[in-house]
Amino acid sequence: MSTLWNSKALGSVLLGVLLIAAACAHRQAVVAPEPQSVPAPAAAAPAQEAPGAGTTTVAPEPRISPAENPEGGIRTSELPADLEQLNKAGYLKDAFFDTNKSALRPDARDVLAADAAWLKEHPTVKLTIEGHCDERNTEEYNLALGWRRANAAKDYLVSLGVGAGQIATISYGEEKPFATCHNESCWSQNRRAHFVITAR
Amino acid sequence: MNRTLALFAVALAVGQLALAQDEVYLKVTNPGLSRVVIAVPEFASRPGTDPAAAALLLATLRKDLDETAVVGVVPAENAKLVVVDPTNPTLTRQRWRAVGAQFLLDGSFAGAGNQLVLETRLWDLTSGEVAYSRRIQGTVSLAATMAHTLANELVHLFTGRPGPFLSRIAFVSDRTGAKELWVMRWDGTEAQQLTTYRSIALSPAWSPDGEWLAFTSFLRGPPQLFVLRPTQGYLKTLSTLPGVNSSPNFSPDGKTVAFAAGAAGVTDVYVVPVDGGTPMRLTHTLGISTQPAWSPSGRQIAFTSNAGGSPQLYVMDAEGTNVRRLTFDDTYADEAAWAPDGVKIAYTTLVGDRFQIATLDLRTNARTIIPGPGNNESPCWSPDGTVLAFVSDRTGARQIFITDPAGRPQQITDKGNNIQPAWVAQVQ
Repeated sequence: MSTLWNSKALGSVLLGVLLIAAACAHRQAVVAPEPQSVPAPAAAAPAQEAPGAGTTTVAPEPRISPAENPEGGIRTSELPADLEQLNKAGYLKDAFFDTNKSALRPDARDVLAADAAWLKEHPTVKLTIEGHCDERNTEEYNLALGWRRANAAKDYLVSLGVGAGQIATISYGEEKPFATCHNESCWSQNRRAHFVITAR
Repeated sequence: MNRTLALFAVALAVGQLALAQDEVYLKVTNPGLSRVVIAVPEFASRPGTDPAAAALLLATLRKDLDETAVVGVVPAENAKLVVVDPTNPTLTRQRWRAVGAQFLLDGSFAGAGNQLVLETRLWDLTSGEVAYSRRIQGTVSLAATMAHTLANELVHLFTGRPGPFLSRIAFVSDRTGAKELWVMRWDGTEAQQLTTYRSIALSPAWSPDGEWLAFTSFLRGPPQLFVLRPTQGYLKTLSTLPGVNSSPNFSPDGKTVAFAAGAAGVTDVYVVPVDGGTPMRLTHTLGISTQPAWSPSGRQIAFTSNAGGSPQLYVMDAEGTNVRRLTFDDTYADEAAWAPDGVKIAYTTLVGDRFQIATLDLRTNARTIIPGPGNNESPCWSPDGTVLAFVSDRTGARQIFITDPAGRPQQITDKGNNIQPAWVAQVQ
């Protein structure tokens, strides 16, 4: 691209700068002399092909295809009927969080302590702790915040003696809210570590 | 347009090109005043030309050129004043100049069978010389594509940057009841569904050459990173680290994907080769680090971290060293989007209790908030860096908007909720 720095281009740039300065300084219509030449288009010719050289044959744009299914298929998150029932019985309660926080509040600790007691009595039960967020913050940030919440809950349960192997964690960020209105009454319901029994 | 402004625009155009070698160049900041004006009169047609295809090409070309920030077509009311004298092209060109045109694009069509051929020349009306000429051909069904190709060339001529007319925007839409990946043209037309997993798809990110689209999906349970070839439907797994795999972003050379991944409760920025391999951790924060954004030079990565107490923008060298904070005047800063010129970063900030788009100039540290009604987030630059796409809920549902040459937002989606735009110059 050495042609860009030829004297004509530089001359026009300088003239351009002068014109800009003149226009700014005087704020009135000043008919300035015209530039000597405007090498602009020629100087900016793409490196690979000189303008006017040869014919451009336009090919059709590539066709966009829907994505194939992944190997191994798509995993649905539905539980068998008996586990649905077990979860509905509500033996494990969720822990709730303050806005933008993953630290455990005192009420959350109490809830988790009760959950830990139940889990220690049922050591064959496997569960997943889902981290959820309200709709504020961006989707990506909330995925990370939900991840912190799920793990904060898991770490506390493990510290109370629950086997780490019983507990899986996942974050849904703001993607699976429990309540969908746009104020604190719903937001507070969504900021939670949610417990789902996945095996008895 | 008065003479001084016309010259101003031309001088700017020249200035832009002389600086095109650097990452930074003069940008037309007030497009309403400074557009280079091109006259695009009716093109001649030789026998054999398909009239419908020729008319479509010309109409598409004029529309494309008029939609850019740096080039504009002589308005119809001025064009009417020009008396074309076929026997005296020089006089005709002077007449175009008199109504404010700085350049004239003339052309003639020819055709045979289902082929359409266009020969065009761009006259510099100031010097009276031909500045550019091109012969372009294709089947008549490709008339619009031919127009887009030519318009792109003209924009590139004046700005050194790729034109937007074949560009596409990938995004996430819930219009089918689940969050899926979609892609549309830059003006919102021809929206197509890419994924049909009925799961949750998030954060599409293009490779610079438009060949790959990386994204996060819950299709196997937890959020994992995948990459898709939109022209083939081919799907590949990129990262299945435990926890969260999200916010992918391609390096400028297209070889590496930066993303956010969780490990034992901490979300950090990682990098992984597009061809596959072991992800490597870059950040070592005690909190959340996410939303990596590679600089156009490939030397730095901006990202969001709450290491300072609230989500703020940071930048580091691409190796993960030399972390420094960028935002100090925001209560919240997220979703860094590096402008193609490498000088500005657009991002999402909080003003009161609403999201707004802001830009940070990395040279002057000047921060500019772009106000708008409702919540405005997820800024995304056009490939030539003159237009911002973003998401706004000003009409109720979340929709994607792009700013027009005068800076006015134009809504380009309308069904369901549409978020997280990602813009690429051309799909390969």
